[in-house]
Parts: sequence; C-alpha cells; structure tokens
Amino acid sequence: MKNNIRVERAIKNITQADLADAVGVSRQTINTIESNKYVPSTVLALKISRVFGKPLEEIFMLEEGD
Amino acid sequence: MKNHFLFPYWCRYLGWGCILAHVPLSILGKAHGITNVLDHGPVNESLFNSEHLFFICTTLLMSAGLFLVAFAREKIEDEQIWQIRLNSLRWAIYINYIILIASLILINDTGHILELNLWVPLAFFIVRFRWIIFRLNKAAGGDAALL
Repeated sequence: MKNNIRVERAIKNITQADLADAVGVSRQTINTIESNKYVPSTVLALKISRVFGKPLEEIFMLEEGD
Repeated sequence: MKNHFLFPYWCRYLGWGCILAHVPLSILGKAHGITNVLDHGPVNESLFNSEHLFFICTTLLMSAGLFLVAFAREKIEDEQIWQIRLNSLRWAIYINYIILIASLILINDTGHILELNLWVPLAFFIVRFRWIIFRLNKAAGGDAALL
C-alpha cells in the first residue's frame, strides 16, 4: 500500500512531528509510513485522513500485488 | 493505543539496576565459596540457607531485571512499537527453542540448560527490540534533515 502523506503534509504545511502529535503516535511511525516501510492499522489510517480532511482513498492507495 | 500488562517506563531503569547489581553479588558470592544451585543442585535442602539466598540474589535478580527491561512501556507506545515487540518476542521464542532443542540433544547438563533458558529469550528479545528501534530512530533522524 502506498500513500501521499508527504504531499498532503506539504500542502497543509505541517511537520512529521505535528502529524504524529495529532494522531497520537511517534514521529518514527509517521516516517516509516511515509517511506512505505510500515502499513498502518485501519484506525490509524482513518485518523491520518481525518487530519487532512480527505477520504481515506485519497491518502492511501493499493498497489499492484496488494 | 491501549496496551495492558506492561510495566511503567521507569521499570526499565530498575531492571538495568537489577542486572548490574547481580554482577558484583555473583563475584562476591563466588569469592566466598558459595556456588550456584544450578551448577550442581542444592547441597542443603532447607530454604533460605546461604546457597539459596545466593541463588535469589544472583540468578533471580538477573532474570527479574531482564523481565522488567523487556516489558517496560516505551515513552510513546504506539501500534508500530507493539508490532516490533510482538515480532521480537516471536524471534526470541524461535531462538530459544532452537537452542533448547540443540542443547538437549548435545549437552547432558540440565542445570545449565535451565540457566540458559532463564536469560536467552529475554536477552535476545531486548537486543532485537532495541536494535530495531535504534534503526528506526536513525532512519527518522536522517530523513528529518530533508524536511
């Protein structure tokens, strides 16, 4: 699963630490999600999309092979 | 994320204290000729004799310390930490049973096999868990320079 959290953060002008605080995880977790090393749980994915005020499908997309 | 059955964060330091404290106690006990019951079995069957107290002060202190360090809460305990914790625990059980089976076949010394089983799973768990977190922090630190 890929995501465009980095792009959305740039649009909203917030840092990884700001996003991490908003959803209640560590900055390292946001970093690994952005670099596609960690797939978040449904709850965390929903929290992240709520921060950006967009539907889940606009932030997270399935890849070939998922 | 709610995580039950984890010790508070400060227990990590208490655990390291126990692990460090068992080293001089072991050296002191051995210098005074007290041997570990795991080495040869109890000589005196009564509880709380010098041999039994030495066992409590060293082996159990070390095991309790490892237990506290392994299961102390992280500062930010999120779902990724929880997943790393579970993966490390699974690997620790694999390694422990590989060593256990190999030692049961190759070594005819149950006392030392028991001693090995006291610390191998927890020590391996701690090393792997901290190593993965260290790598994550390093990667996150490197990326932070680009932001």
